[in-house]
Order: sequence, then structure tokens, then C-alpha cells
Amino acid sequence: MEEATRGFVIGILICQIALSIVLAAIFLIRPSLTSAAGWKIVAFIGLCVLPALCIVGGMNTHVQRSEQTRFCISCHVMIPYGQSLYVDSPTPIPAQHFQNHRVPADMACYSCHADYTIYGPLNDKLQGLKRIYMQYVSTPPNPAAIRITGGFKNAQCLHCHLGARNFEENPVHSAMIDSLKSNQTSCLTSGCHDTAHDVANLDHAKFWKAVQ
Amino acid sequence: MRLSETGMRRLLQVSSALIIVGLLLEIVSLVWFHPLSFVLFAFIAATLIGLGILVYLTSLVFIVTPAAGNRN
Repeated sequence: MEEATRGFVIGILICQIALSIVLAAIFLIRPSLTSAAGWKIVAFIGLCVLPALCIVGGMNTHVQRSEQTRFCISCHVMIPYGQSLYVDSPTPIPAQHFQNHRVPADMACYSCHADYTIYGPLNDKLQGLKRIYMQYVSTPPNPAAIRITGGFKNAQCLHCHLGARNFEENPVHSAMIDSLKSNQTSCLTSGCHDTAHDVANLDHAKFWKAVQ
Repeated sequence: MRLSETGMRRLLQVSSALIIVGLLLEIVSLVWFHPLSFVLFAFIAATLIGLGILVYLTSLVFIVTPAAGNRN
């Protein structure tokens, strides 16, 4: 979703919330209005239907927002990971995907770090809450020491690459496709695409500057 | 348990107040671009709004209607 569309959706939601607040304020000041039949319906809409819709709209907006790259790197420990997307080198996989728009630039993190299963998005949100807990209550980890629990799953690469001509026609990929699908051979740690976010060496890296 | 008209009005006011506070916090969470804004929305704003809706629905269930009074 584009930035302007997102802003429009949030604007509509805020208007809906404002209307709900006005209706709720009426019943806060004059609860006796509900004695009339017409106002009973207004009360039901203002104190039940609209607030419920505001929760649904708010949840939807927050879930979509949490998929944005700038949301992910708004956490302090994620800043080096955001910088690593701009490394001027053909080796790091995330930088290549981000800079060449192989993934949507505004959803770069989520494209590769989403669990593409039925409850995947929910699991991602729970993981995110765990990280917020670590940031504010427990001890935040050193960015270079952060590791994905259970390792990076091939499914996150195959979600896009499986079925793509240049992937399947590559003899190395086609020879081990079953092993890749079953996650027995890792795309990242088996020696083929072994440079991801090299945040420990960012100080020595050269960075690409986008024109726009 | 049956509620009097005054009790019903009190519940409506409590419900309205909870919903207003929850909705105001939801606006804050929407304009604040920060990882904690999700926590603010999901754990505080949505809870308050949900409680407000629940209080309102409770007031509907336990209200004394004139028809019920006549029947007795």
C-alpha cells in the first residue's frame, strides 16, 4: 500500500473515531437521552457498533504498519540492520534484494522475515512483542549477536523463488530442490548465500545512496 | 439482578467514559510511529474500548423495563 493510501485510510479511521467520541460524549453528558426509542438505537451504534469497528480498523492499521521497513528499524537494535540494506556490495543478500527491489522496499524486512503459514503473521506479532519486552524490560541484545530462533527457514526464500525460471533452471538449485524444500540444506548457512546482514562489519562498509 | 434507571444511567456514563478514553488513546497510537504504539493500542486502548462495550451491553441485559414491571 502506498504512503498516500495509508495516510488516507488512517484519516478515515480517525474521522470514524472522532464520530464515536462525539456520540459517546453525548451519552456521558446526557445518559437520560436513552429513554427515547430513537436514541436507544443511536446509543447502540455509538457505544457498541462504532467502537467495535474502531478496534477492528485500528488493529488492521497497526498490523499493516508493523510490516513496514521504517517500523522495523524504528527499534534501536534494528538500526544497524536497516543500514545493512544500503551496503554497496553484491554479496549481502538483503542489500541486493532491497536495492534492486526484488522485495518491496517499504516492506523489505517483512518480505523475508515473515512466517508464511496460516498463523504466521500472528507468530510474527508475538515475536515482536517479545522483542519489545527485551528492549524495555529485559536486557536488549547486542545487534550483532541477534539470531533468529530456529534459524532462517528456506520457506521464506522459496515463498518467492520457487517456480521462478532463473531459480529452477539453475543446476545447483534443481539438484538439491528437495533438500531445500525440506530445509535440510539451508540457503544461507550451507556455504552458498552465506552473507546476510553483516552488522558487525558495517564500520568498514561502503554504502549505496539512493537517488530518490 | 435488575438495575434501576439511575443505575443504568451510571453504567452508560462509565461505558461512555471508558470508550472515550480508549478511543483517544487509539488516536495517539495511530499518530505515534513507534513500536510501543502497537502495545498502547492492543493492551490499553482496545482493552478500554472493549470494557466500555461490555459495560454498555451489561446495562442492556440488566435494565428494568416498564413492561417487566407491569407484568409483575
